[in-house]
Amino acid sequence: MTDDTTIFILDDDDAVRDSLSMLVESAGYKAETFASCREFLARSPLPSRACLLLDVHMPEMTGLQLQDEMARRGLKVPVIVMTGQGDVPIAVRAMKAGARDFIEKPCSDNVILDSIRNAMTPPAKTAGDPAIAKRVAELTPREHDVMLQMVAGNPNKITAHNLGISPRTVEIHRARVMEKMAARSLSELVRLALAVGIEPEK
Amino acid sequence: MGQKPSKSVDAPTAPDDPYRRLFEAAAIGINWSGPDDRLIEVNQKFCALVGYRRDELLSRNIQEITHPDDRAEDRRRIASLMSGEISSYSLEKRYIHKDGTIIPARTTSSLMRGRHPYRVAIIEDLRPQQKATLQQRESAARLKSIFDAVPDAMIVINERGIIESFSPSAESMFGFSAAEAIGQNVKILMPSPYREQHDSYLERYRKTGERHIIGIGRVVTGQRKDGTTFPMELSVGEAITGDTRLFTGFIRDLTERERSERRIEQLQAELMHVARLGELGQMGAALAHELNQPLAAIVNYLLAARRLLQTLPAVSPRISEAMEKAAAQADRAGQVIRRLRAFVARRETDRREENVNGLIEEAAALALVGAKSAGVTTRLMLRPDLPPVVVDKVQIQQVLLNLIRNALEAMDSSEKRVLTVEAAAQDGMVTVTVTDTGPGLSAEVTQNLFQPFVTTKPRGMGVGLSICRSIVEAHGGRIWATPRAAGGMVFAFTVPVEA
Repeated sequence: MTDDTTIFILDDDDAVRDSLSMLVESAGYKAETFASCREFLARSPLPSRACLLLDVHMPEMTGLQLQDEMARRGLKVPVIVMTGQGDVPIAVRAMKAGARDFIEKPCSDNVILDSIRNAMTPPAKTAGDPAIAKRVAELTPREHDVMLQMVAGNPNKITAHNLGISPRTVEIHRARVMEKMAARSLSELVRLALAVGIEPEK
Repeated sequence: MGQKPSKSVDAPTAPDDPYRRLFEAAAIGINWSGPDDRLIEVNQKFCALVGYRRDELLSRNIQEITHPDDRAEDRRRIASLMSGEISSYSLEKRYIHKDGTIIPARTTSSLMRGRHPYRVAIIEDLRPQQKATLQQRESAARLKSIFDAVPDAMIVINERGIIESFSPSAESMFGFSAAEAIGQNVKILMPSPYREQHDSYLERYRKTGERHIIGIGRVVTGQRKDGTTFPMELSVGEAITGDTRLFTGFIRDLTERERSERRIEQLQAELMHVARLGELGQMGAALAHELNQPLAAIVNYLLAARRLLQTLPAVSPRISEAMEKAAAQADRAGQVIRRLRAFVARRETDRREENVNGLIEEAAALALVGAKSAGVTTRLMLRPDLPPVVVDKVQIQQVLLNLIRNALEAMDSSEKRVLTVEAAAQDGMVTVTVTDTGPGLSAEVTQNLFQPFVTTKPRGMGVGLSICRSIVEAHGGRIWATPRAAGGMVFAFTVPVEA
């Protein structure tokens, strides 16, 4: 299987860049790697079918600043932001800045490839805002609270503390939220929440 | 020469008369006048005093050159003198100088009886004396204004320990009014056992001249009127005039200073504690971040390998099994990191709107405590119009403290030691820079400065700057370092104005 889509990989870690390019190439994509935002911005012109895997922690210019710069230059490459574990608040900001998805490193499954596939298809309009709003409306108040904590990136224990319930209960609510919102991942949940104007707290 | 005095008067007249010579040479004004108040004779000194020539004065009524307000009193005294009620009188009266100025003088008159009684008046110019008094008053007033204004309390005691003066600052410091304190023994301002011993201290000093506090100064305890005690810095000066000996005590209340010193110590301890806790957590975070990268690479390589294997015709199932197991172990390591992250995140960050200038001032004050700052010129270049930032105060101060301490350390053996901390706002970010004039770092070292466990210090752990990086990045900012052209380093970090 080959694809003429180019995957740009922007990460300051050599091994991460190399392994990612091997992975996307094994899936039939072309890969180009960059060690800095500057290098990436110097790459022109960009091919029409492309996707950017962007690490948020970059020296000199952060991923968020690159997103701003790309918007300023009118570069319409879909961006997938890569964060470390638990960097959800930063991921949320990246999503608000227009990223299509975020993935937490490391991913134990083919999350990266799924995410690229999603990013390369135009944003699904089928599940429009009213449909998502309807799903949100079906949440119980408690589930709604838990969802806000989830999109704020709070781990279960913090959520439990904030809401004054047990971590076990939080886990149950989390599962119900994911189910009712029809979200397969935290990033999808964040995307859905942002789509209906739910702002993560703090 | 002018008119001669009347012949009927028994007075020395001849120019060579010894009395006449004495009369003219006197350093004091002298005149004679008749019962009709007309001047019969005047000496040079008197002429000079009132500014008239002798001939202008002779036959003139003495009251004509007397200040109008003093005439009545003078006449009254003259009447008493003439009636024999008194034999002489002394009066402070004012003469009018020819040029109109008023001359204060003391006039002592006595009546010379005889066929033609006349009065002899000795006139003493009071101006020099008044001037001296005025000067004395002025300097006394000046002293008093100083006395009233010094923030230190001032207490003057005599040899026996009796309070002779008690300044307004002393009043507010000790709670005694000056009226209450003056005349009391100074020991009332001391707690036991000094209270009981002070008299013997004075006694010992009188006998031995051995100085224990005079000219030395020390921190002692004072006692207020209400019985409460406070730390005070006392310095004592001694003044000897004639055979009286006075001691002046200058007292500074140290309550405030001790309180602020304690507060700084406490703040520092707090910050150190938080910093240590934070360091552990942040070290965990830095560790997690650093382990995460290779782990992510391992997982990616495995995923790629598995995909590549699937395209091959005949692969031993043992290879696939090993791949699966490696992936499972990588997943396990990922779980450990996830838990570490969750543990680190438990230290709740407390972000509030903060004034950057305030943060810098406080952090600089804390960082400058201690010997490291000796000989360092510190310049805080703050802008009062900086927008507030939403940050965890303790964490950002930890970053500042770290950078400032590093800067001070870097300048340890430098000749020029200038620390500059500057803050500026631009593009929705506040940038804080910490500049030193140390030897600087090579570009190579600068590149890896923010990596954990990279250190330029002999005993460093290499976590300080990586922690700074985690903190700054968690706030959505950046941190970087650049060598200065003139030597030294510039460390800069940004925090967004809007969280």
